Amino acid sequence: MINVNSEDLNRVEKKDLFASGHRACGGCGQALAARLVADAAGENTIACVATGCLEIFSSPYPDPNWRIPFLHSLFENVSAVASGVDAAYKALKKGPVNIIAQGGDGSTADIGFQSISGMFERGHNVLQICYDNEAYMNTGVQRSSFTPFGAKTTTTPMGNTTRKKNLPIIAADHGIPYVATATVDDFRDLQRKVKTALLINGPKYLHILAPCPLGWGHTGDLTVAICRLAKATGLFPVFEIINGKVTNVQKIQEKKPVEEYLRLQGRYKHLFKKGVPVKAVAEIQEIANQNIERFNL
Amino acid sequence: MKKLPLGLVVDLRNVVPYKTGSWRTMQPLSIMQTPPCSHSCPINNDIRGFLRTLADKQDFDEAWHVLTRTNPMPATCGRVCPHPCEGGCNRRDFDHPLAINSAERAVGDYGLEKHLEHKKLIPKRKEKVAVIGSGPAGLSCAFHLAKRGFQVKIFEAKGEPGGMMRYGIPSYRLPKEVMNREIEAILRLGIDLECNAKVGVNIPMDQLTQFYDAVFMGPGAQLGVPIGVPGEEARGVHTGVDFLKMVNSGKSVEVGKDVVVVGGGNTAMDSARVAKRLGANVCVVYRRTRVEMPAITAEIDEAMEERIMFRYHTNPVKIIADEGRVVGLLCVQMELKEPDASGRARPVPIPGSESVIPADTVIMATGQAVDYDGLEVQKLDNKWISTNEMQMTSIDKVFAGGDAVLGLETVSAAIGQGMRAAEAIEDYVEGQVESRLSPPPVIYSKDLNTYYYQKSRRFQREALPVHIRLKGFSEIYPAFDRAEITQEAARCFSCGLCFNCANCYMYCPDNAVKKGKSGTTYEFDLDFCKGCGLCAKECPCHYIQMTLEK
Repeated sequence: MINVNSEDLNRVEKKDLFASGHRACGGCGQALAARLVADAAGENTIACVATGCLEIFSSPYPDPNWRIPFLHSLFENVSAVASGVDAAYKALKKGPVNIIAQGGDGSTADIGFQSISGMFERGHNVLQICYDNEAYMNTGVQRSSFTPFGAKTTTTPMGNTTRKKNLPIIAADHGIPYVATATVDDFRDLQRKVKTALLINGPKYLHILAPCPLGWGHTGDLTVAICRLAKATGLFPVFEIINGKVTNVQKIQEKKPVEEYLRLQGRYKHLFKKGVPVKAVAEIQEIANQNIERFNL
Repeated sequence: MKKLPLGLVVDLRNVVPYKTGSWRTMQPLSIMQTPPCSHSCPINNDIRGFLRTLADKQDFDEAWHVLTRTNPMPATCGRVCPHPCEGGCNRRDFDHPLAINSAERAVGDYGLEKHLEHKKLIPKRKEKVAVIGSGPAGLSCAFHLAKRGFQVKIFEAKGEPGGMMRYGIPSYRLPKEVMNREIEAILRLGIDLECNAKVGVNIPMDQLTQFYDAVFMGPGAQLGVPIGVPGEEARGVHTGVDFLKMVNSGKSVEVGKDVVVVGGGNTAMDSARVAKRLGANVCVVYRRTRVEMPAITAEIDEAMEERIMFRYHTNPVKIIADEGRVVGLLCVQMELKEPDASGRARPVPIPGSESVIPADTVIMATGQAVDYDGLEVQKLDNKWISTNEMQMTSIDKVFAGGDAVLGLETVSAAIGQGMRAAEAIEDYVEGQVESRLSPPPVIYSKDLNTYYYQKSRRFQREALPVHIRLKGFSEIYPAFDRAEITQEAARCFSCGLCFNCANCYMYCPDNAVKKGKSGTTYEFDLDFCKGCGLCAKECPCHYIQMTLEK
């Protein structure tokens, strides 16, 4: 286990390395998460970003918002590009440097999955971050393999019929040293996890729940409150996996029914329409209960 | 030849950020609001201000100055006030309200201990004001006027200043030493005090209106009113006010073995507890039940702790005397019927239920009235002085406040009235119609985001055990630990005012919240703010609010 000053890890950072003026929607969870990550990582960082919302809204010429080196890659190969950066640094005997490969859930779970898997397997010193907004929001809300059961997208107008892929566990099963999940509502926890990950040599995976007001159908001011509910219902477990062992599970203080979480979002509105059988809500509650049991929330 | 870099290069130093502020339809605004504690305080003390000072800086000195901006007697109010502020506290809906009263007392005691002095706002002005009565209303009015530079003279009918605080409140609740020193601190602002001068008797009222620019009347309600039970002229029958006055001015009073107190107000509770300390068995007789008693709840609780008997639904019919001295009280049981004009249940006697309570002393604490001897003012219900909204009486340039206007109220209510009368007098003297700004709206629990607060234990003051209490007139609650008080102050939600939690700063997805120059304030960068409202939603104390774009 890494031994560092816990005060250093717990300190909240704000350095404006991801500056104002980006074109994200008001209340964007991903913009908030990207800023928290960049500030926690610090100046000595190279940000590799896959195609997606984050790349689109933060890097238009001539006024990008990144104040750290920024590399844009294709949708599917951000991990491969980051691996190349790592290999280049090793070949040039330069560094150390923090290399962060970032993408949305589409590039992480679907299109770019093989390159991530390869990067994990080859053991590059890269922190892979997934900003999980549970659908392809950039192209207009299409279903991804992170779309949860029951959520409505343009390609699943009656609600998604499959369950969400559990990538943190898949990543951990690659045998990588550090896997963690976080949400944007607890910025201390999020920044601590970024800093912890960057202290470890080898591939790391951080999964951040980042609500999308447009795709989820809620107002921008609810971004943080919804994250909080996702944790309190048990739908999004927050934990760390260090060397294959689940630790630091964030316990639920006050358990909430999933309905409270679902009601706030437009993408679940069809579940509460008159005449619709309420089975779906019960199944979502079942998913939450399974999470609570599995991770001992 | 100079080698050009491959591809497109952006020099980050030359980046002109894209101003996303033009997207906005709603705009965040920091709006200071009235916390419910200050709103429910009769003096409108800046409670949030002094608690935050204690919590952030542990500075009792500054806290005392914050408190004495409005209330000149924090040590007194910290002891005798029934603290409606704690009833208003938004923390009540979360766990337990703050122990504001105890914190006030701790701050007041600190001021007395360090001999802190009040500061004058305006050094000197030529206008003179006379204040009749040196009770809480008169002292507060004199204090606020003297701070604003007026030349104030107080006329007190009795030998020493303090009014009902001195002659009505027993010293186990308010030690005379505490009150004396707070009064001295007020008088040190340059206020003249003339004792043994009863306006209307020794000095005619016309003389005051002639020589002074304004007059404030705070005569209080110092006359005990018996209810007219046959036999009241017997020896050993006192009114509550007279009884307390005798004890508090140091006369030795023989109460005998059994004392019966008639009434359910604060004077009744005080009389009963004083009689108990004089060694008697005390019984309180009240027509209705505990629920209808007008006394402060804590007072009733403490009286019960001190083993004072309460007989409800009981009404005195006749005082039984033997050779001119009282021996007992004939009572009848009552039953409660539909409410009367005061909203309380109307007691009706049950025929044939008479009984005699043996008594060596009977204290009739059944009501008080204003002593109008030589004072000619328009009255309300022929009882209380009638005033307009500026607290001016029927006589031009004569203002009034305190119990004589409000009916029987608390020390804090009287201090609040004195303060408002001082403001009105200042306006009157300067010829202004209305110079006060209305306070910002009150903030309630529903507006707060309580997720960011932690549940915590409330400060509990420790009372002396009953057997020690009853041995004398020493104070029931010993001094508090200051560290515990600062800890308690840190529980304050700071409703409606920033307490530097930095949520807005950290949660803004657009980095549009910047730290102010001092590092403890936050400003909105409206060039980039998209108006999502996240900062307002996550502001724990509702200081940030979304408003329509101008």
